[in-house]
Amino acid sequence: MKKLYITLLIAFATLSIQAQIDRSKMPEPGPSPEINLKDPQRFELKNGLKVLVVENHKLPRVSIQLTLDNPPILEGDKAGVSSLTGSLMGNGSTSIPKDDFNEEVDFLGASISFGSQSAFASSLSKYFPRILELMADAAINPNFTQEEFDKEKDKLITGLKSQEKDVSAIANRVQLALAYGTNHPYGEYTTEETVNNVTLADVKQFYANYFVPANSYLVVIGDVDFKEVKKLVTTAFTPWTKASPPSFAFSKPADAQYTQINFVDVPNAVQSEITVQNLVDLKMKDDDYLPALVANQILGGGGEARLFLNLREDKGYTYGSYSRIGNDKYAPSRFSASASVRNVVTDSSVVELLNEIDRIAKEPVSEKELKNTKAKYVGNFVLALERPSTIARYALNIETEGLPKDFYKTYLERINAISIDDVQAAAQKYFSSNNARVVVAGKGSEVLENLEKVSFNGKTVPVKYYDKYAKGAEKPNYDAAIPEGVTVQSIIDKYFEAIGGKANVEKIQSLKLVYEGEAMGSKIKIEEKRTAEKMAQTTFMNGAPMMGVIAKGDELFMKQGANKMALPPDLQKDMMNSMGIFPEQSIAANSQAKVAGTEMVDGKEAIKIEVPGTIIQATYFYDLESGLKVKVATVTSMNGQTQNQEEFFKDYETVDGIKFPSIKVSSLGPQMVETKLLEAVINVAVSDADFD
Amino acid sequence: MRKRKLRWLGLPLFFLLMTAQAQEVVYEEYDLDNGLHVILHQDNTAPVVTTSVMYHVGGKDRTEGRTGFAHLFEHLLFEGTENIEKGKWFEIVSSNGGQNNANTSQDRTYYYEVFPSNNLELGLWMESERMLHPIINQDGIDTQQEVVKEEKRLRYDNSPYGQLLPVLGENLFKVHPYKDPNIGYMEDLDAATLEDVIAYNKKYYVPNNAVLVVAGDIDVPSTKKMISDYFGTIPRGADIIRSYPKEEPITEEIRATAYDPNIQIPAVMVAYRTPGFAERDAYVLDMISTYLSDGKSSKLYKKIVDDQKQALQVGAFNIGQEDYGMYLVFALPVGETALDVLVTEMEEEVEKVRTELISENDYQKLQNKFENRFVNSNSSIQGIAGTLATSYMLYGDTDLINKEIDIFRSITREEIKAVADKYLKPNQRVVIDYLPKDKTAN
Repeated sequence: MKKLYITLLIAFATLSIQAQIDRSKMPEPGPSPEINLKDPQRFELKNGLKVLVVENHKLPRVSIQLTLDNPPILEGDKAGVSSLTGSLMGNGSTSIPKDDFNEEVDFLGASISFGSQSAFASSLSKYFPRILELMADAAINPNFTQEEFDKEKDKLITGLKSQEKDVSAIANRVQLALAYGTNHPYGEYTTEETVNNVTLADVKQFYANYFVPANSYLVVIGDVDFKEVKKLVTTAFTPWTKASPPSFAFSKPADAQYTQINFVDVPNAVQSEITVQNLVDLKMKDDDYLPALVANQILGGGGEARLFLNLREDKGYTYGSYSRIGNDKYAPSRFSASASVRNVVTDSSVVELLNEIDRIAKEPVSEKELKNTKAKYVGNFVLALERPSTIARYALNIETEGLPKDFYKTYLERINAISIDDVQAAAQKYFSSNNARVVVAGKGSEVLENLEKVSFNGKTVPVKYYDKYAKGAEKPNYDAAIPEGVTVQSIIDKYFEAIGGKANVEKIQSLKLVYEGEAMGSKIKIEEKRTAEKMAQTTFMNGAPMMGVIAKGDELFMKQGANKMALPPDLQKDMMNSMGIFPEQSIAANSQAKVAGTEMVDGKEAIKIEVPGTIIQATYFYDLESGLKVKVATVTSMNGQTQNQEEFFKDYETVDGIKFPSIKVSSLGPQMVETKLLEAVINVAVSDADFD
Repeated sequence: MRKRKLRWLGLPLFFLLMTAQAQEVVYEEYDLDNGLHVILHQDNTAPVVTTSVMYHVGGKDRTEGRTGFAHLFEHLLFEGTENIEKGKWFEIVSSNGGQNNANTSQDRTYYYEVFPSNNLELGLWMESERMLHPIINQDGIDTQQEVVKEEKRLRYDNSPYGQLLPVLGENLFKVHPYKDPNIGYMEDLDAATLEDVIAYNKKYYVPNNAVLVVAGDIDVPSTKKMISDYFGTIPRGADIIRSYPKEEPITEEIRATAYDPNIQIPAVMVAYRTPGFAERDAYVLDMISTYLSDGKSSKLYKKIVDDQKQALQVGAFNIGQEDYGMYLVFALPVGETALDVLVTEMEEEVEKVRTELISENDYQKLQNKFENRFVNSNSSIQGIAGTLATSYMLYGDTDLINKEIDIFRSITREEIKAVADKYLKPNQRVVIDYLPKDKTAN
């Protein structure tokens, strides 16, 4: 080894005399590269369609993008009509049925897709004329059928339903509604009610009103010839009737008059969603547009930014914290700094977010931060230039945002020229800590007490209350809702009475329950065996055992075939909260379980017992009248992700003196799956092997 | 090229095949005195540059008892060089606006960086540092041995169906190094000594066993100078003599069973040994495999999953390699469907290709697919760099980057039938029952 080392050393020494470069020094970057963006060629049709063409003959492929740059649209009590229109476009045309259309596009190895105000297609250049033809036909003569409409409407409503309890979805809706007001296109929201107001006729009307050429752009990039494109596009798009969209004014939104917390109570939240936001008047053509982006990147643009380093790396409050700044030529957009944090640190997180926003405005950023951020911007910008979609977007932006023609050619220069002062000025102008709305969606019963004590810059931050739809609400009162004399024990006693009486329940040594149903085209069967101390649940798909979960003593593991995977100890501890022939036996013994008010389940009032845990938090619902268990809701959180699941119990039937729900409806991903009771065996013979 | 306009509209699609355009990736290549082959591709459209080096060393380059070496090496060569501090490689790349990666196959190892074009010198410096004087010491070996073993556990040992490819290798090959997994065996990884590693480096990581590709927004004369400055002084290594054992053709079906403790649902694999990827027949087999098993509209998927609902899933891999390839189709049964039934169904489709011509429509669709694939594979500078390196080093013809599509275009329906009959007969196949541990095959 030594000999080799010496040989190398001598060789190296010899070499370095001859070479003109000094290898020991890392090379410095050269001057910023020139951006060679070709200017598009342009023509306009009589109906208002503007066409931009960028020839690039490097590869024999073409991409076509249609954008309708209309002002924001207020959908009002038919919110959802735009989304439905988008889903229905592209299903062939009035002369080509949907299946034929899709098959032809597939055969050519191409793709065509639509939105309610856009369309995109890509193909080999030899098929460009046909693909352009098909795209234009589908755009100008859309095939709107009742059948497809009904299907898409169902999908939209299912989607909305699956998000009802989703804390992020709720938070997002409230943020926008509070920032803009619900009579503004950016602040209004879609509900099942508004979607139900939409008919096929409304979709056709929306299309007729808004899918019009007045503000439309077609960008064609790739292996094409300008004269060719002009001819083909003129033929394909001239039938598009000249028209402008209807216009209307909406009020200009305003920021909060003083920094305040806007709180939405979401009882099933295990994390709080916090967003500190304010409105910004920022357009791409503003002089401080790039400094604003850089300032935002330093504050909260990624894993090396201040918010992340503070709230996650330093304090461990969250899996990630970031900030965003938008830009918009039609209306104010938003700056926002967010984090999803554990309940118990909600108040501290609010303080840290406000502190960081304050700090970047008050103190200049460091040289190192600025240098690294610029390098990242430059890198991302440059690498994105290889994609035709980037070139299309840039060509379009120059037109629609009124940018100087050399905006992107000078981009790198301007990024590199940004100074520390520029960044600070942008932060002061666009990030507000004095007129900030701190929108918090979380579990009030755990976080409100401390939130109300939050102080910033020497003053207590006032708290206002809202419901999930951003309507003003009363401050939640967590003591009122429980009826007199109701305790965890009393609820459980009533439950046992309702299912067959305490005496009969105590006779049960072991229990086997089998439920069967269908999901995703397959037969599902769930078999559960329980004793006082052990539990084994196996899921079958089409008759084959897929997965098992076994809990006994100190162990909790998942089983696949002969393979066992132990589950985390925290999860095992949480499982102890629901062991026993009936989980209620463990709940009764759990000092952490508490009565948590009432809630409607399927139209009837139910009393709730909450069972906290590290990973799983469960809420058990018992019908106030009958005492039967009607629902269990669980929130599982691991690795910064949260999952909400619900299980409903219906149609109790008696088997051997004990009542069991004959129907269970459980959430499986975004769907609800119904299973029926196949078998209930009391005091079934069980052996150790069952729990192995 | 613009003269085609009148010929497009209103003509049957088959005619369009003949008016296909040429695609020209322009490049320049030469050798340094020390044997390093250099390929330059200039494209000033976007200000990006890829600097990449491919070494002609892969999993198959090793002695018995030292499997997994090339891959271990790939890890080792990020540990640092004389002038690049240990652990700083990735940080240097990202703080200069770049991205990087590396990968090892049975045949070669490939390293690349993508930078904004004003960092070309940085990229060249880094790759030349790696070639000239990487730091190789016991500490690095110890660390990376553990990392690789962990990777093996994660990707293969503890992963459902993770043993498919290793089991395939050991059944399709008896004497050629392809019989062993690229990542190697645990015992061999543990047994690697510092002497072994240094010797391996000296033998294979030399300029005369490498190709340097620089592609993107470059100025050719100044790039050539930089290459000469950074790489020119790296000493040439000894000539490498390669000799791998040859396999006898498979003439009798091979049946095998393998067990995997990570799965619940068994799988059945039908596999064939195919020629090395540079041979024409390999191209034809590529088309056959796409026809049979690529995507939801493929023959096997449609029949076995969609229509007859016998399989949960049908998939295929057509693994091209330098000396021999592997084509396999696998299926997971639904419910109680027997594995042998799936084999019979799959063979029924393969037999059709051996005995009947595929339809004109299917043939045209196939051609469109390959055309799209070809075009999109050269859509990024990074992609072009990879193709240039591979075409030169493994196929022996850099110009394949432009010509390869012509090979596919020239393949006829008759040829597809003939090649299927030559390589995909039942007596040439390997059938593997891949079962959950401690369950018997149904």
